[in-house]
Amino acid sequence: MSAPRPPGSGAHLVARSVGVQIDGAEILGGVDLEVRAGEVVALVGPNGAGKSTLLSALAGDVVPTTGTVELDGRPVRDWAVRALARERAVLLQKQGLAFGFRVEDVVRMGRAPWHRTPRQEADDEVVTAALLRADIATLAERLFPTLSGGEQARASFARILAQETPVLLLDEPTAALDIRHQEALLTACRDLADTGCAVVVVLHDLTLAAAYAHRVCLLASGRVRADGPPATVLTATLLSDVYEHPVEVLDHPNGPVVVPVRHGHLSAARRSLQAEEVS
Amino acid sequence: MSQHARAVRLLSAGLLALALSACGLGSAQEASSSDGRSGAAGAAPDLASATPLADPRDWSGPSTAVIEDPEVRPVADDPSPHLPVTVTDAQGTKVTITDTSRILALDIYGTLSRTVFELGLGDRVVGRDISTQFAEAKGLPLVTRGGHDLNAEAILALDPTVILTDTSLGPWDVVLQMRDAGIPVVVLDSHRGLDNVGSLTRSVAEALGVPQAGRKLAQRTETEVDRVRQQIDKVTPRALADKLRTVFLYVRGKSGIYYMFGEGSGADSLINALGAYDVADEIDWSGMRPVTDEGIIAAQPDVVLMMTDGLESAGGVDGLLERLPALAQTPAGENHRFVDMSDSEILGYGPLTAQVLNALAVAIYAPEAVS
Amino acid sequence: MTAVASQALPVGTTRGRVGAAVLLSGLTIGLLVAVVISAGHGQLAIPPVEVLGSVLHRLGLDVGPLPTHPQGDNTLWEVRFPRVTMGALVGASLATAGALMQGIFGNPLAEPGVVGVSSGAAVAAGAVIVFDVAFVGTWTAPVAAFVGGLATTLLVYVLSRDAGRTEVVTLVLTGVALNAMTSAGLAFLMFLGDTQAREEIVFWTLGSLNGSRWEYVAVVAPLAFGGILFAGLLARKLDLLALGDRAARHVGVDVERLRLTAIVLVAVLTAAAVSFCGVIAFVGLVVPHLIRMVAGPGHRLLVPASALGGALLVVLADLWARTAVAYADLPIGMLTSLVGGPFFFWLLRRARRTAGGWA
Repeated sequence: MSAPRPPGSGAHLVARSVGVQIDGAEILGGVDLEVRAGEVVALVGPNGAGKSTLLSALAGDVVPTTGTVELDGRPVRDWAVRALARERAVLLQKQGLAFGFRVEDVVRMGRAPWHRTPRQEADDEVVTAALLRADIATLAERLFPTLSGGEQARASFARILAQETPVLLLDEPTAALDIRHQEALLTACRDLADTGCAVVVVLHDLTLAAAYAHRVCLLASGRVRADGPPATVLTATLLSDVYEHPVEVLDHPNGPVVVPVRHGHLSAARRSLQAEEVS
Repeated sequence: MSQHARAVRLLSAGLLALALSACGLGSAQEASSSDGRSGAAGAAPDLASATPLADPRDWSGPSTAVIEDPEVRPVADDPSPHLPVTVTDAQGTKVTITDTSRILALDIYGTLSRTVFELGLGDRVVGRDISTQFAEAKGLPLVTRGGHDLNAEAILALDPTVILTDTSLGPWDVVLQMRDAGIPVVVLDSHRGLDNVGSLTRSVAEALGVPQAGRKLAQRTETEVDRVRQQIDKVTPRALADKLRTVFLYVRGKSGIYYMFGEGSGADSLINALGAYDVADEIDWSGMRPVTDEGIIAAQPDVVLMMTDGLESAGGVDGLLERLPALAQTPAGENHRFVDMSDSEILGYGPLTAQVLNALAVAIYAPEAVS
Repeated sequence: MTAVASQALPVGTTRGRVGAAVLLSGLTIGLLVAVVISAGHGQLAIPPVEVLGSVLHRLGLDVGPLPTHPQGDNTLWEVRFPRVTMGALVGASLATAGALMQGIFGNPLAEPGVVGVSSGAAVAAGAVIVFDVAFVGTWTAPVAAFVGGLATTLLVYVLSRDAGRTEVVTLVLTGVALNAMTSAGLAFLMFLGDTQAREEIVFWTLGSLNGSRWEYVAVVAPLAFGGILFAGLLARKLDLLALGDRAARHVGVDVERLRLTAIVLVAVLTAAAVSFCGVIAFVGLVVPHLIRMVAGPGHRLLVPASALGGALLVVLADLWARTAVAYADLPIGMLTSLVGGPFFFWLLRRARRTAGGWA
């Protein structure tokens, strides 16, 4: 995948004390987040922490009730829809398609922002590369609605790649993927960051976040609890507190491994022993 | 759309079709009792020679009004039209007629074609509407299959040199297409009533270049009508309260929907000319509209006028009373006083007006003569 | 992701372009043949060679025989040709409107007739006839039909959309409700109207091309051509709308503006079809569907192919309508509904199966 823009020209996405209220309920409050070119930032946190809402605010889908989101120094809401589409691509959690387009047609839809620009010359090339990169090339002729969930997710990722934007926002892109494709997708994200892209990715798998993110932003109840390198954010104490479940963080040569403490796997004997200790 | 919606749609389409055949004449009627002479009832004699009932209410049973002598009686033998002629028609359009060798005269009651025949131009008529049922014209090709629907290509196929019509047949666009095709179209007054029999006749004659024959025919018709009305006047009760309460009902088929014809429909003029009491006028009923059961009970008619084929399609008097119990709750229903007349004659007016009035008057006031 | 061995991929649309060319030229040829056959058949028998002769003479070529029937030439030019032309325009408008509606609703069951837009337009046009309003001459009925169609389309849009989605059941029920309301409106107008107005309203509900004149063709043609052309310009964006509202916005589509434009276009096209020829249902449903089955859902092909296919269908249906029974005109709306109704049921069943329920 070719670099969307020369490294150093620096895409820059900033959320300043962003608050979002929906029907009077506060979903997000006072969130500050900065994403720079060359970074993969993982948004993590328990269900309902506000990860998807924050991503929507960053994407410009949701206008913050308070605070601002700026892309390259301009509020996102001031961007024209098409200009914005050339700067940031978004992969939603749910992929739907109203009609039976072929996978290749869907990926080609990612090229829409470049229609009638000099860059449309590269359409075929970029689409081919994206199909290969997302490992969906063999299914290029298939109809999108006939694919499995994981295949649809890969096809949609290929569409995001084909959009060639300096900013990528991905909402749980690995949820439906098998191990091989999870790793491959996040490797692709790292590679994009290396070429100067800014990548924000919502993840549930904290071990994956630890392995691939430059930074991890931990959200809880609509607020940022911690923001920093994986090693400083993903600690047993903090995670156990935020997730309200005991969590262990193990050291591994490839990075920290986050493991929940699993009662279900303890022997019945030890469980009863524990129960006695508690009482 | 769901089945339900389609059903609603179909139903409403059915109602529409019904409403339509109320305005026009249905198509199915043609075969049945086409000339109104197929029934058991005999032709009406001259009212003057019949013995009227002492009390017109004192009679029970239906009667059919049949014209005794319906042949065409041309006022002139092959008159030679003075052409070209330019007339301003009922819509204010200036129309120039240069050739009357192939005439089409079309309207909902067949009045115009009858007029053309009576003017002595019958051999120049090349087609007919469905209401033109008299013997002399019956062999002509039909251009209104479906009762009300004009067919452009069917009309053009007859190569008419002049078309006389009014706004009672449609689609109106077909009439306009005829003008587009360069055929002079004279639009006449679509109102039918005693008040314009003469003027309508004269307008037809003027458009065909035979104004003299027109005056003659109008004169003849008016004289005949005056004579019949004088005779009717002799047999009708003086006091308003003694006059027969009469309604004109239009019934078609067995759907249980029936229309009452009111002001401007032609039925008003007819009922007045017959010396009867027009119930529709009493309740300010205008045009041709469906009437409700309670409405008809409230009207309490003594006599109901109907079209023969309409009555037949409802299953005759018995079928009608069974279908419409409300009608049975009226004096007319109790006494079976339904007076019917051929669909193509009863509201036609034109040259046959006097004969129609005579036949109806006999059926109402001297029913013994036709039973 | 790990690249699959760099095989040559069938990326590019050469094959698609060839297919599109075949489809479009096939439909064009089909339409031309249908128009010629249709122009050569009618209640007044005119041999094909005389039809050709008449056309050539009007083009200034003194070739071939003129119709021998004294009114033959008039019949062709004042009755039959405007009617065939009108049929093609109406069919093209309806099919395009159907394709557009399905695109903006993201739902293959949306169609002007099915969801009540056509009847909404007919009610408005009926009202100006009954109340005898004529503020812009021949254009009065089309303008009223446009306003009625626009109002109904907006109503359908507002009523049947929920959280950016149009569920099949909501759409169909909205159609039921709207059709019931418009039926009531028409019934009321019939009650108010005189004989002639009533007849015109009946004419609308059943749909007919009888009485088409050049004057009306001149009104419908610009609406139809303009609408179809504009719809073609929206095609690329309609494709993107299939991704859903949010995803479409992410690839640069101003979704709200696109929707509004498309709704106005649907109203224009429906008005073009309805104002003179009444409600001809299901054309907008059947045609785009068949095209999608053959050529896929891409709107850049779907829109022009639907326009051609719709024209072809209505020209053929009308040929049947006016020749099946001697001297009589079958209502064309009845014919299309007769074919379209079962097709709609089949689609509904299929939609239920594939969507796993009513959603």
